[in-house]
Amino acid sequence: MIRQTLARAYLALILIFLYAPIIVMAVMSLNASQFYALPFEFSTRWYERLFTNREILSAAWRSVWIALVVATIATTLGTMAALALWRHDFPGKRILQTLLFPPIAIPWLITGTAMLIFFFGIGIGRGTPAVILGHVALALPYVIVTVTARTASFDRALDEAARSLGARPFTIARRVTLPHAAPGIVAGALFAFAVSFDQFVVSYFLAQPGDTTLPVLIYTAIRKGFTPEINAVSTIIIVVSMALMILAARYARFGGTK
Amino acid sequence: MTGAERLRALGHLAPAYLWLTLAVFLPLSAMAFFSLLTDVPFGTREWSFTFRNYADALTNPTYATLLWKSVRLAFWVTLWCLILGFPCAWVLARMLQGRTREALFLLVILPFWSNSLVRIFSWAIVLRGNGVLDQAAGSILPGVRLNLMFSESAIIIGLVHSYLPYVILTCYLSLQAIDETLIEAARSLGARWPRILWRLVLPLALPGLIAGAVLVFVPVVGSFMEPRLLGGRVGTTYGTLIEDQFIAVFNWPLGAALSFILLAVVLVILAAASPALRKAAA
Amino acid sequence: MTEVRVEALTKSYGPAKALDDVTLTFPDGGFFGLLGPSGSGKTTLLRAIAGFVTPDRGRILIGDRSVERVPVEDREIGMVFQSYALFPNMTVAENVAFGLEVRRIPAPDRKARVAEALELVRLGDLGGRKPSELSGGQRQRVAMARAIVTRPRVLLLDEPLSALDRALRVEMQIELKRIQREVGITTIFVTHDQEEALTLSDRIGILRDGRLVREGPPRAVYDDPQDAFTARFLGEANVLTGSLEPGGLRLSDSTLLPGVTTASIALRPEGLAFSATPPDTPHRLHVTLKQRIFSGATGTLILDWRGQDLKLTAPERDLKTIPVDATTLWLTWNRADILPLREPV
Repeated sequence: MIRQTLARAYLALILIFLYAPIIVMAVMSLNASQFYALPFEFSTRWYERLFTNREILSAAWRSVWIALVVATIATTLGTMAALALWRHDFPGKRILQTLLFPPIAIPWLITGTAMLIFFFGIGIGRGTPAVILGHVALALPYVIVTVTARTASFDRALDEAARSLGARPFTIARRVTLPHAAPGIVAGALFAFAVSFDQFVVSYFLAQPGDTTLPVLIYTAIRKGFTPEINAVSTIIIVVSMALMILAARYARFGGTK
Repeated sequence: MTGAERLRALGHLAPAYLWLTLAVFLPLSAMAFFSLLTDVPFGTREWSFTFRNYADALTNPTYATLLWKSVRLAFWVTLWCLILGFPCAWVLARMLQGRTREALFLLVILPFWSNSLVRIFSWAIVLRGNGVLDQAAGSILPGVRLNLMFSESAIIIGLVHSYLPYVILTCYLSLQAIDETLIEAARSLGARWPRILWRLVLPLALPGLIAGAVLVFVPVVGSFMEPRLLGGRVGTTYGTLIEDQFIAVFNWPLGAALSFILLAVVLVILAAASPALRKAAA
Repeated sequence: MTEVRVEALTKSYGPAKALDDVTLTFPDGGFFGLLGPSGSGKTTLLRAIAGFVTPDRGRILIGDRSVERVPVEDREIGMVFQSYALFPNMTVAENVAFGLEVRRIPAPDRKARVAEALELVRLGDLGGRKPSELSGGQRQRVAMARAIVTRPRVLLLDEPLSALDRALRVEMQIELKRIQREVGITTIFVTHDQEEALTLSDRIGILRDGRLVREGPPRAVYDDPQDAFTARFLGEANVLTGSLEPGGLRLSDSTLLPGVTTASIALRPEGLAFSATPPDTPHRLHVTLKQRIFSGATGTLILDWRGQDLKLTAPERDLKTIPVDATTLWLTWNRADILPLREPV
């Protein structure tokens, strides 16, 4: 019994460690003081100020917009690739699957700076198109892995049954495969959105100063000396990404279930 | 595979992989190319091939010190993540079941999926002078100041916080896969917990531990954002060095060379750990 | 050496009773088989003796030592699991040596005893292999070696042969018996295969719904099941029920079986004989032939008597005498083959 209590206590400590700073930040965002001075006085003024700060708002809107575009592209391309990888067996398949790892395994610093060099070289330079180009590349592996995890529970027999009934590939895709893969696709889309929206390093190198994304804006603001509006927008971001992740987890069902 | 099938498969795979080629593989090659130049080949600047960048990178003592600093930082962060994360994974995997376990697991993983920049920022708030930690310490032991900000400890705390869930996840998956009857068998032979852990559990969970360690070590060794935010002037690393070349100094060829050296270090680590990684992924 | 005894052992999981007041003695040095359908409590009983299950009430004695409060690690048992549970990260030799390591036996002695144990199970030169490189039968033997090398006071086997295919099973049954004889440890094993239980055991115990229904040497239990459940579970039985009269048992078709003193009786399929003409004995039934099953050397007849299915087994050379178009037969049996049944416990 003593082991059980110790175990739960340890888990609680870890959870406190993981959530404490986030909670402090959220609480402070509702504190009237500009310098985080206690005692705590409830106020929503930073949130109000936030919504009149054009710089932050435009960066936020740009981040959302980019994330939506990235999610759409990455989900489409990634799902096609994942389904093709599932359905067909061919020489070189393992290589293709291994090639998905470099974008996630290599530190983003290296990929980001490499992209910067290359995009400048081919004339794209910095700016929103470059950012989108980069984000999709980072999101693709996540989408493919998520959809693949879902297809692992596919019954190949369904596919074969449909084919034996004479259905054309497009029909099969529409009526059999895609509905089955839908939860994985949705989860993949949510991950892609989150990867893009939260992305800092690659955006840092590829974004045009002035026309930047929200994380990069937050970073520069912190380095210059932050105002509590940054606190407010950060709290909003955390809450939104966590909500998205809970949604994605519902669809992807990690933790060892089917 | 029939010809038509092959064409269709290709058609489905091509867009994604073309994109990856364009956005990842070609840039990496371009960076390799760049690292061998004297100057950026844009506009009207003169450029030629040279190994000078690599020579600089490898002989300059400052660069070597910074690389070593990054490796050391990555080492400490990885160690702390393993020490804190493994017991946590153990509790989750072997002492809890069902809905409680699922819910707590999700809770532990959740911060990991939120914006890392914002999480580092939240630590800045907590750790700074006059911040929450400082004032809390002052109220318990009056006169004590706890300003951890702009120190190596702050960087380590922030990084451990960011990457701890990674280790918990990989160790959890590994531990969960260990068959309960193996432990029963060990007990039936008279073994007590220390021996069971040492001879049975740790060896079987090793792939998870190694995978987690690699997933932490690699990003941390190239990190610059966290050191800058939490370390200030103390927070210079190999990563910040590379960042400077591109953002401040505009010596892209040197930056490319430095990047490539980092890439080499990372690839060596990944290669060494790949058998364990493959086992963990199974 | 060591006799094992459980007294009034009870264990409930919620409203269900996994063990219900079980009292049983496992003789020293004997091979005891626990038999029963799934959910009968036999595995729970085994695991309670091992220490993985803590009983709500009752005592467990290994030797003269009361062990209900003693943890698994200290009970000095040897156990073989259904899945063998060999440690995948260790070689065969290391697996077998594990228990000796725990007991701090010095290395040279360990080596010697491991070699001895592997010789005993006839795996002498496989010490360096890993479990993943072995066949099912070999893994089974490693599990045995690992369990007995520590010279435990009692050996517990949890369905040790159920993962093997038929031919291997029969071969391993013989091996198991030989090893146990050589080593002489009190052995308790659990199985749901009644044939296996009959082959291996010196004594068997039959469990049903957590209670001990019958116990004794296999031959005795087979020849005298005493209740319908045991009669059907160990071997096969045709159960006939009727009303008791002073003269004997009257069946529903008015046949009177003289000398029977119980309301139910059982007749083993192999104890039945048949004839085309009515035999001159009160022990006979007129039945309809439903189905003939050919199984090589022996065969089975499924017969219908007043809506009830009866079974007869006989050598095929005898069954051949029945004409192909026969529809009815007369069944008959020896008075001595009647197995009286009381109400099940």
